[in-house]
Amino acid sequence: MLGYVTDRALGTAVYLATKMHKPLLIEGHAGLGKTEVAKVLAAMLGTSLIRLQCYEGLDVNSAVYEWNYQKQLLAIKVQEKTDQTVREKEQHIFSKEFLLERPLLQSIQAAEASPVLLIDEIDRADEAFEAFLLELLSDFQISVPELGTIKAKHVPYVILTSNRTRELSDALKRRCFYHWIDYPDFEKELRIVRTRLAGIEDGLGTEVVRFVQATRQLNLGKPPGVTETLDCALSAMTLGKHRLDVQTVEETLGCVSKSMEDTLKIKAAGIERLLSQ
Amino acid sequence: MRDRESNYSAASIIEFCQFARAHGLAAGVQQTLAALEAVRAIGECDPEEFALTLRTALTSSKEEWDRFLQLFDAFWNSSGEKAQPAREGEVAAGLNRGQRRAGSQTLSRESAAVDASAEGEGKTVSGASAERKLQRMDFSQVPLDDLASLEELSLRLFRRMSLRLSRRLKSKETADRVNLRRTIRRSIPRGGDPIVLAFQGRKTAERRLVIFLDISGSMNAHSLFLVRFAYALHKYCKRVATFLFSTEVVEITDELRTADLPGVLRRLSEKAAGWAGGTKIGESLEDFRRRHARRLLSPNTVFLIMSDGWDTGEPEILAAQVRAISKRVQKLIWLNPLLGLKEYAPVTRGMAAALPYVDIFAPAHNLESLLALERLL
Repeated sequence: MLGYVTDRALGTAVYLATKMHKPLLIEGHAGLGKTEVAKVLAAMLGTSLIRLQCYEGLDVNSAVYEWNYQKQLLAIKVQEKTDQTVREKEQHIFSKEFLLERPLLQSIQAAEASPVLLIDEIDRADEAFEAFLLELLSDFQISVPELGTIKAKHVPYVILTSNRTRELSDALKRRCFYHWIDYPDFEKELRIVRTRLAGIEDGLGTEVVRFVQATRQLNLGKPPGVTETLDCALSAMTLGKHRLDVQTVEETLGCVSKSMEDTLKIKAAGIERLLSQ
Repeated sequence: MRDRESNYSAASIIEFCQFARAHGLAAGVQQTLAALEAVRAIGECDPEEFALTLRTALTSSKEEWDRFLQLFDAFWNSSGEKAQPAREGEVAAGLNRGQRRAGSQTLSRESAAVDASAEGEGKTVSGASAERKLQRMDFSQVPLDDLASLEELSLRLFRRMSLRLSRRLKSKETADRVNLRRTIRRSIPRGGDPIVLAFQGRKTAERRLVIFLDISGSMNAHSLFLVRFAYALHKYCKRVATFLFSTEVVEITDELRTADLPGVLRRLSEKAAGWAGGTKIGESLEDFRRRHARRLLSPNTVFLIMSDGWDTGEPEILAAQVRAISKRVQKLIWLNPLLGLKEYAPVTRGMAAALPYVDIFAPAHNLESLLALERLL
């Protein structure tokens, strides 16, 4: 319906997380639709999606809030000549007008309904950030020293994703429901391709899925995910092909293989052989 | 709270959580409570949904996830009172009969072991003193029966060590504080008002670890454990690179990053079996330097070489290479399993030649010595 093919396990997990307002941690390899879950959930619930993309060195300033220093300094300058008391000036400088709200603060300020908060690739952030996040997930309130404590009117639905490049802290894992997304089996992947690329020919779709599934057995450095399957299928369609032959694969190999070593491995295994499996 | 089927009462769920904990799942009280609430939130459900609900609430890693259904089956089916629920969907498809039976058998043996130690017989290897004994045993002398326990123990302890290390290997972030001096300078053209703020410098680069592991014949008994050690470090620290060498040098960084440890070990044993002939440490180091030094060696790097020093190459080359590497890195650590022997002295020409350039020379013959590395890294 919304273009996302799922299984009972994921459906149960999302249902539970939503009903109990507990965060859901989704782990899995890249390109398997972890981020999509949040988008689809937001669409289903009819709320907004607030996304925090984590990276190494992500700190509270970029994630929660930051004062707009430049604007504040200018305002100070402008206020110099006015008659307001110091107190009033201070309150003006430290008002919401000068507050840059980042995703985490935005997520607890939704006025009408609980938004979906997606914390993407939490494994790329560091443990200090995880500790802060844990606090937030318990209380859903943020203290801004100059403004006071801001409490969530509508507690957001939280979805965390991780590519498992490192182990997350135990406390965070205990706090969340857990779901592991694995590579789909043949039928499921075929359904995904047919759902997402509605116009695709049966034969082409089947061959693309079969090919990508075969490459996953090859012990590649970066095995292709479902995103790559869709890329490959779309490329073949764009090139006007009706079947997946060796030449088409070689032309579109960049969709499936993301490094030179992987390309060599695929070629060494023999594209023809992979196609016929 | 009760469900239609009395099999799924709160008491049985709690019992199952205890059962799961006894079999290695980390689910604690918090998660047990979450499981109970989740079952209540789901309401009436079929057995498959019940299993999925518990799995979402009680697991927290891929390893636990993979093992969960087996544990679920073993608990809810092996005790005779529970009726056989109709099985549909992935729960049944995931486990064929043979696997399930085998799973239950292993688990019942394990639970027997757990019971035995609970009664204080203490003969099984899961007792704390037996654990310590295993930690001290030289890898080459571990009896076959205890090998599995040692592997499990080592994985567990390495994991904890890596967690601690991953916190330390990162250097401290310099806070994004205002650099007053530069701010004031910049305010000069603006009449002394600090309109533009200058901030402190960037973070210094993260430390990196390079592991260089000897897998020649003489290192045989030890190398598989050392590979496990490298594997654990890979999982929990991001900047680790691992190389195997004997007569040639092979990088296994990417292989160790995959989660499939048994597969990796099997492939490595096959690969290593194909390497005949004596070790050439110096030449291997030279090869490594030629291909990877620019990318990997920097003043932030800690270079860890694990070898017993038995070498058929030229000792001068070995000494020269070790010297060259140690000049470029922060620390060069040489781990030698032979150091575990009381009578060992580094008299092989190669080892003796390289020693002056080694910053830390430490043993690596048993679990204890590997865990002690935490202090050194």
